[in-house]
Amino acid sequence: MAELISINTLVSVLLVIFAPIIGGLLMGIDRKLTARMQSRMGPPVLQPFYDVIKLWGKQPFIASSLQPVLAFGYFGFSLAAFALLAFGQDMLLLIFTVAVADLCLIVAAFNSKSPYSNIGGKRELLSMMSYEPIMILAAVSIFYNLWAKTGYPSFMIQRVMDLSTPLLLSLPLTFLAMIPVLIIDMKKSPFDVSASDHAHQELVRGVYTEFSGYTLALVELGHWTKIALMLGFVSLFWATNFIIGAMLAFALFFIVLVIDNSYPRLEWKSMIKTTWIVGFFLILANIVGLIARAVLGI
Amino acid sequence: MYEETLVALTVVLPPLAGLACFAVNNRSFRRAVVVLTALLLVGSSIMIYISGGFSYEPGPSIGPIIEGAIFLLDAVLLVYFLFSGLKYGSFLVMGLTVLQLIPVLYFELVLKGASATPAILVDKLSIIMSLIISIVGSLILVYSLSYMDEHEEHLHLEKSNQNRFFFFMLLILGAMQGLVFSNNLYWLYFFWEVTTLCSYELIRHDRTEVAVKNSITALWMNLVGGVAFVAALFVGFYFSPNSISIETILSNAQSREMLVLLALLAFAAFTKSAQFPFNKWLQGAMVAPTPVSALLHSSTMVNAGIYLILRIAYAMSGTTLSYGVTLVGAFTFLATAYLALNERTSKGILAYSTIGNLGLIIVCAGINTSISYVAALTLLVFHSVSKGLLFLGAGVVENRVHTRMIEDWEGLLRRLPFTSIIMIIGMIAMFLPPFGMLIGKWVAIDAITTSPILSALPVIILVILGSAATSVYYIKWLGHLTVLPQDGVKLTQEKLPILYSLSMLSLLSLSLLMAVEASMVINNLVIPALPSDYILNARYLFTGGLLSVETGFGSFLTYPFWVVAVIIIIIGTYIARNKGGLVKGPYLGGENIEENPSIFHTTADREAKVEVSELFLDHEVSSSQFLSISTIIATILLMIIFLTVIL
Amino acid sequence: MKTMTTARLKSPWVLHFDCGSCNGCDIEILAALTPKFDAERFGIVNIGDPKQADVLLLTGPSNKRNQRVLKNLYNQIPEPKVVIAIGECACSGAIFHNCPNTNGGVDKIIPVDVYVPGCAARPEQIIDGVVLALQKLAEKSEQEEKTQ
Repeated sequence: MAELISINTLVSVLLVIFAPIIGGLLMGIDRKLTARMQSRMGPPVLQPFYDVIKLWGKQPFIASSLQPVLAFGYFGFSLAAFALLAFGQDMLLLIFTVAVADLCLIVAAFNSKSPYSNIGGKRELLSMMSYEPIMILAAVSIFYNLWAKTGYPSFMIQRVMDLSTPLLLSLPLTFLAMIPVLIIDMKKSPFDVSASDHAHQELVRGVYTEFSGYTLALVELGHWTKIALMLGFVSLFWATNFIIGAMLAFALFFIVLVIDNSYPRLEWKSMIKTTWIVGFFLILANIVGLIARAVLGI
Repeated sequence: MYEETLVALTVVLPPLAGLACFAVNNRSFRRAVVVLTALLLVGSSIMIYISGGFSYEPGPSIGPIIEGAIFLLDAVLLVYFLFSGLKYGSFLVMGLTVLQLIPVLYFELVLKGASATPAILVDKLSIIMSLIISIVGSLILVYSLSYMDEHEEHLHLEKSNQNRFFFFMLLILGAMQGLVFSNNLYWLYFFWEVTTLCSYELIRHDRTEVAVKNSITALWMNLVGGVAFVAALFVGFYFSPNSISIETILSNAQSREMLVLLALLAFAAFTKSAQFPFNKWLQGAMVAPTPVSALLHSSTMVNAGIYLILRIAYAMSGTTLSYGVTLVGAFTFLATAYLALNERTSKGILAYSTIGNLGLIIVCAGINTSISYVAALTLLVFHSVSKGLLFLGAGVVENRVHTRMIEDWEGLLRRLPFTSIIMIIGMIAMFLPPFGMLIGKWVAIDAITTSPILSALPVIILVILGSAATSVYYIKWLGHLTVLPQDGVKLTQEKLPILYSLSMLSLLSLSLLMAVEASMVINNLVIPALPSDYILNARYLFTGGLLSVETGFGSFLTYPFWVVAVIIIIIGTYIARNKGGLVKGPYLGGENIEENPSIFHTTADREAKVEVSELFLDHEVSSSQFLSISTIIATILLMIIFLTVIL
Repeated sequence: MKTMTTARLKSPWVLHFDCGSCNGCDIEILAALTPKFDAERFGIVNIGDPKQADVLLLTGPSNKRNQRVLKNLYNQIPEPKVVIAIGECACSGAIFHNCPNTNGGVDKIIPVDVYVPGCAARPEQIIDGVVLALQKLAEKSEQEEKTQ
């Protein structure tokens, strides 16, 4: 039986099980680093776990019977998307699964007839509109890169992991285009229009306003899983060496924190404009670069 | 003999049934006739599917009779259009009809060019279309039996106009079947114009001023396509291979004349499928009763244009014309996605969505590879079912709530739970996994990225941006349906006439079943309908078994996704049941009143209700400006395409 | 479970409501959240949403105008919760205790767990009060677990 289950599958399964925990640790590190940047001590790294456990034990208040199901849907589909990443599946399917998770969160926010929740939901929808095209275009650029490097194009993450040279060397601009995507996903300034970390409130809690207790715990877990997913995707840019890949992901994570602490929140219009202009320009330039290299034989 | 019967049942029976309905204005008679016709139609379509395709040439005794009948009916039709143009003072209609009538008379009487062998050719592509027309069309007809009763009651009509309505609804079913079976280009043109007639008559069914005006717009825009068709007939007759048999034309080598013919046919297809710049008529057609929108303007008639493009696409592979077709489709997809964001009426949004998805299908047809063909046909099949379902649901809501503005559809989940849930699932089915439309879009992206890279880049950008907006307008709409005041009130029971629930549930089940078995649908229905040169390549690429759809470049896990989704719903419901919770009012700064938490104290202790609204972006992107600019760009694009073909 | 109580102690989310104070105590509360005193190292976060809060920080005397809002917010906070009255006004009404428009301290409206006197209360005292409140929270939590 042990021979049937390869090490790879085992690692993938463990990754999926531990994805929320990895995400939680990253959030804890986030809060610690942000605090240090602000010349203070900051909470312990395990703080997010205390938060979630405490939330689970609160007296449950819900907005409707639909809300908890959708909250779990957000968590569940984020985890499913992470599983697609861990098992080397199709990048496009991953992006669309993330869209399903976002749908659950947004509909749950709309479901409560609350002005803060509603505006937060609309802004979350616009955030999704901002980063989804960039992710799809990034997947397309990886597709073209696989074509150039191996002669056979593919959207499968497994192929990326099998490449002999790391993605970063041929797709540096796509890597940089992941920064706005990460900022939106981690809900950091300047693009934290729909909800934000604790001290930066605008719409009370934005899209999270009407969640409480166990539903908020589920949404938090979903948020962690999505961050783990995005950073996992970033680490694919150096898939040959796991440690360097993780360091790359951490480097982008750190850059996002620095940007967060340097910039105020911008309007949603600026979010869409900036993300699209920066994202499309960088990735298209990279693709043209790939074509040029292929044509010139470099 | 057997084939004759099948053709007769699908093409001739519906119009005859329609005449019967027209003559006898009796409700029970009408119901019996419609249901019977529906059953026979579906049955014969399935028989045709089983037969696997055939060609049929009417024998020497009835051949001339049929040809003569078609010519006579065609002439009568054109004269009727002329008369209608005269009646409503539309010079466009009159001019365009004359531009068709005189050449057609010349063509038939002087040139005697209106014959082709075989007259009827049923291949796998025709079979797919025929199945869609019969199954989806029949369900919509069944639905409209109930809908029209409610509609006329709402309008307080003394004398029922349903006889006229059902005549045209049945006529178009027959005409569409004839359209997809014809190999004779002149016959195809005739059936095409019959669909124009049905569209015109059904749009103006209610005889209001707006309806009549919009029907004239629809008429002249479709007639433009008709003129292009007639020109194509002449090109086919005069230039090699001097034939109006579609099979012969398409298997001929590419020459400039043939490309001109194909360009004219593509142009006609654009008018019928309401691509930019001809989209205005479809928006205006939404004033018609909802079954009209469901049948003609989403599942059936507009598919005629798509069918034509899919039929001729292979013959233009590798040409600039093909790329031009792609660009028209891509541009339409993007433009309609953004216009739908700002659209206030339910049917308006669905209309834009239809045009956009048809544009995406046209993109795939223009790319002309085996993968893109699979994408096009997958999108076609799933779109017809899903969009038909959405229109039916929108019709029910309209009849109950008496408004089309989606702003007023807030909280429908509580008032009309059954219909709302169907609408929500239908909307999710248009753009999210694991449903079929997304599988089609996913294959389409694979198709675009595997085509030559420099031509693919503009197209992929247009498609990606359009796709982003698609998610937004559907999510905001379905989210608005679920807005519930937090007062713990339970959902009400919804009573629906049996015909409504029957038709909607059937379409929903069909949509779900096909989505789960997407791999089977692609392997057994879609791939056999590809042009023969592509079938081998498609079979090589699409190796997925039951569990997933595999193009050679990616893998869409259908079964696993469904399993995961069901598990998530089960666990979510279990947690919700287990932990439960008190339903608490929204956070309103602590000012909620005790009795009803959705009401709050405002200045001077007045009470105000919480109000939420829909998301529209027309402060940022003005719809009318966007529409005008898009129309201009599309017109210039078409002119450029034509010039490159002619020169 | 011991874990639940530990988690509750390590993650007290605060809702701060000014019932009508002169803002002196409010400024001190916000000062407690700044890097100099850094309340966040205890996991204290100033969450603005009562549904997600554990600790209700009140300043200012309760009066006829805000008693409705006060009750509403208190009811919107899920159990287990603690209420801290900060500053003399919240504790007893201070010099406004017998004014016609005030009711006195906030404990006239809702039950209070910890009183932090001072005018204005200093940040160190506020943090001290929160730590004391957490002990009460732990007691409540353990009691709840015993009854379950």
